[in-house]
Amino acid sequence: MTAEAAVHEQFEQHVHPGASVYVTVAAFLVVLTALEITVFYVQALAPVMIPLLLILSAAKFVLVAGFYMHLRYDSYVLTSIFGFALVIAAVLLISLLLLFTYLSHHLWFAVPLARILLPGH
Amino acid sequence: MAAQPKAIPAEYPSYLKGDPISWLNTIDHKRVGVLYGVSALFFMMLGGIEALLIRIQLFEPNNTFLSAHVYNQVFTMHGTTMIFLVVMPLLLGFAANFLVPLQIGARDVAFPRLNALSFWIFLSGAVFLHMGWFWHHGGLPDAGWFGYANLTERQYTPGMAIDFWDIGLLILGVSTVMTGLNFFTTIVTMRAPGMTYMRMPMFVWSILVTSILILLAFPPLTVGLIFLFMDRFFGTHYYQAVAGATPILWQHLFWLFGHPEVYIMALPAFGMISEIIPTFSRKPLFGYPMMAYSLILIAFLSYGVWGHHMFATGMGPVADATFAITSMLIAIPTGIKIFSWIATVWGGSLKMTTAFYFALGFIVEFTIGGLSGIMHAAVPIDLQQTDSYFVVAHFHYVLFGGVMFAILGAFYYWWPKVTGRMLSEKLGKVQFWLTVIGFNGTFFPMHFLGTWGMPRRIYTYGSGMGWTFWNQFETVSAFILGFAFLLMFINMLRSLRDGEIAPADPWDARTLEWSIPSPPPAFNFVTVPSVSGRDAFWARKYGTGSHGAAAVASAGDPPNGEAEAIHMPEPSFFPIVLAAGLLLCGLGVVVAWWRLIMAGGVILFLSIIGMAFQYPTFGQHTHETEAASGGGGEDLRKVGLWAFIGSESVFFATLIATFMVYKSRSMGGPGADVLEIPLTSFSTFILLMSSLLMVLALAATQRGDKTWQRVWLAGTVLFGLIFLGDQAYEFTSLYHHGLGFTTDLFSQCFFTLVGFHGFHVFIGVVWLSVLLVVSFMDRLPKSRALSVELAGLYWHFVDIVWVVIFTLVYLMQKVKGA
Repeated sequence: MTAEAAVHEQFEQHVHPGASVYVTVAAFLVVLTALEITVFYVQALAPVMIPLLLILSAAKFVLVAGFYMHLRYDSYVLTSIFGFALVIAAVLLISLLLLFTYLSHHLWFAVPLARILLPGH
Repeated sequence: MAAQPKAIPAEYPSYLKGDPISWLNTIDHKRVGVLYGVSALFFMMLGGIEALLIRIQLFEPNNTFLSAHVYNQVFTMHGTTMIFLVVMPLLLGFAANFLVPLQIGARDVAFPRLNALSFWIFLSGAVFLHMGWFWHHGGLPDAGWFGYANLTERQYTPGMAIDFWDIGLLILGVSTVMTGLNFFTTIVTMRAPGMTYMRMPMFVWSILVTSILILLAFPPLTVGLIFLFMDRFFGTHYYQAVAGATPILWQHLFWLFGHPEVYIMALPAFGMISEIIPTFSRKPLFGYPMMAYSLILIAFLSYGVWGHHMFATGMGPVADATFAITSMLIAIPTGIKIFSWIATVWGGSLKMTTAFYFALGFIVEFTIGGLSGIMHAAVPIDLQQTDSYFVVAHFHYVLFGGVMFAILGAFYYWWPKVTGRMLSEKLGKVQFWLTVIGFNGTFFPMHFLGTWGMPRRIYTYGSGMGWTFWNQFETVSAFILGFAFLLMFINMLRSLRDGEIAPADPWDARTLEWSIPSPPPAFNFVTVPSVSGRDAFWARKYGTGSHGAAAVASAGDPPNGEAEAIHMPEPSFFPIVLAAGLLLCGLGVVVAWWRLIMAGGVILFLSIIGMAFQYPTFGQHTHETEAASGGGGEDLRKVGLWAFIGSESVFFATLIATFMVYKSRSMGGPGADVLEIPLTSFSTFILLMSSLLMVLALAATQRGDKTWQRVWLAGTVLFGLIFLGDQAYEFTSLYHHGLGFTTDLFSQCFFTLVGFHGFHVFIGVVWLSVLLVVSFMDRLPKSRALSVELAGLYWHFVDIVWVVIFTLVYLMQKVKGA
């Protein structure tokens, strides 16, 4: 065995799935995408379109990250690295959306709070 | 590739030995550190002179020493220089580079060539920032170190100075992210055997957390600078209210970076202090676990406090209250650190060296800065202090009283290790007292002036304002401070010329870097040390550690011990050449000289190819000697790529957030209705299926099946090209529907976001094409499956970004934006 192969073997501790699992995941991805497009076109689903699309999109995200990027099989260290970055990315995205919408225009809890704290005013 | 046994010389040559040319192609972390240090000292002199110019101008009322325009340039460059070209390079470039591998028992950083590249790109960016001097329509940037929009737009600041600032900061950002990625990977994968996370020196902890901050905080700044670049060069309107946009977006993006940036500078300083105080108190660091956890908590909270820089912008009471609470919360972990340092000193057997003086000075001055910081967390008080000299006093107490005192302490502490010579303690103590007097004399009265209403950034003031005396006092104090630094330079020169020879362990210290000669040999350790407790070198010297348990480590270098094979990476000229190419490209863009851009681009491309093919051997050796045995078993290239993907996630989140905020603020333009779902649905299927082909290529490689490896790789490349073709067709079609790049806010955000994603797909296609060529050359055997896996990870990341874009941009096109 060459030194290079030895190194490879040493680091190939986490067993990756075979082709059948990959193809199954691909089938799920296709179905989920088809469902997303359906939700977009079916008018009856308009009231619940946002949560449905977010759930379907998140499912696809998890499938690719978990199976194709092997986070399900690799060390928790790699999942932690990606997970922490995703948390920060999500906080950033949601914060900016809130800052430019509700938080800057609405006093939805400030007014009731003021009534409790300052009853005489 | 196998490591070749190499005879260890009887006397190990210092890393400093070698001809001058060897410094240009070096990739030794210690030499790269010294290069950073020397550059930062040069810029420290420059920034110091700029500070003195500011003080001379403010010495008396109605002074005409500097014009208003020149004064603006001087204070802008003082801030930019001190933060990006002095403090960060000293902490991360110099100290972390030199010390982290030594403290974790490694022979170099994870990616030595990337490390050298970081330095040369840093130097390119630093030079670039100052290039405006040499152009007729140039001059230095003059919009403040935070370059608030829309002052930075071309109609308000014409000329090239802001262009140099914008692109210069982008270049510096690339360098910093590379550095963060390198240290993160080094610490996660290359620690000596037995060095668990809870046994790492606190300085290493601080650099680990700082690296995470860098990776996740720089992308918003990068995005903000890209938007500014587009506004100035392509006529977009990211920060122009006239088009429905808001200049406040810049402030959010800047401070999303800017406040973590404060901790990017402060945390390594905390780490340095946490090394100096235990050594000179001859006690272990008090509350080690809490010190580590508080670092993590500070880092996490630092992402949620940026709004306290923006209370005066009118974010609304709920946002103000939220940021006030998070800003006050961050005082808790910071307070834990202060009390732990004091508790470490308490009851210690103190050795009053210059380094210890500066460490104690740090505690006092930083606490003052921290207390005025809590005042700024209170919204009503902050509104009174905003843009006054009180704020200038506060951040100088944090950045000079805190960070610079720590740097000076570290300078006196580690200088013997870096140079092999001792500094004069007597001169050092004179410098310390002059620094204390000069610093407090310069900055403490600014609290008064700010409270009395003196605004920051004014170039002069009237004689009847009552500000004259304290301004004169501050100017005199600033010159005392300048003289203190002059003493430091004299001390350095004297030490280098005929300073006392430093022993390996002059301070009776605790960590591994003191177990090897001063200055260290090029390969650091003859044998990779193994560690069985905290303060590994202390335990080795004294047997029983102060922790009460027997903690004997076999660390260090037995002078005549049996050495293992040592394989060090080869030097490389590619980093310096690549950085020169980047500099030429940037310059060509600013001066609109296409030939220069082309020349720079060719140099850049060729050197990237050169580096890519020069790279692999060292990484593999590193697995054998360090990572496998000590760092938790993760492959360093995989960890590095995941860290990069994490950083990219924040980059795309920032682009997506901007798109969602701006998409329905467009004025005119056809809007999102013109986006074609059938076409992009097809593209989505193509990209998802390309991911399937990619994992099949990996599976074939792992089986050693060359035929199917080539088939699936070629298929992935083909599907990538189809996706790019679809995107080109979509863009053209949208253009014909009246949706150009600068049509409205929606179009500019859409093309920027989707265009950047397309660019990532293009990079992936190039990467996979190279792998395909390598495969046809029969150089992609089973043993190199990791190369395919790494390319695959990048490809799948590009895929999941598209999953998000497809949903949020295309399928939710009818959902109203912010």
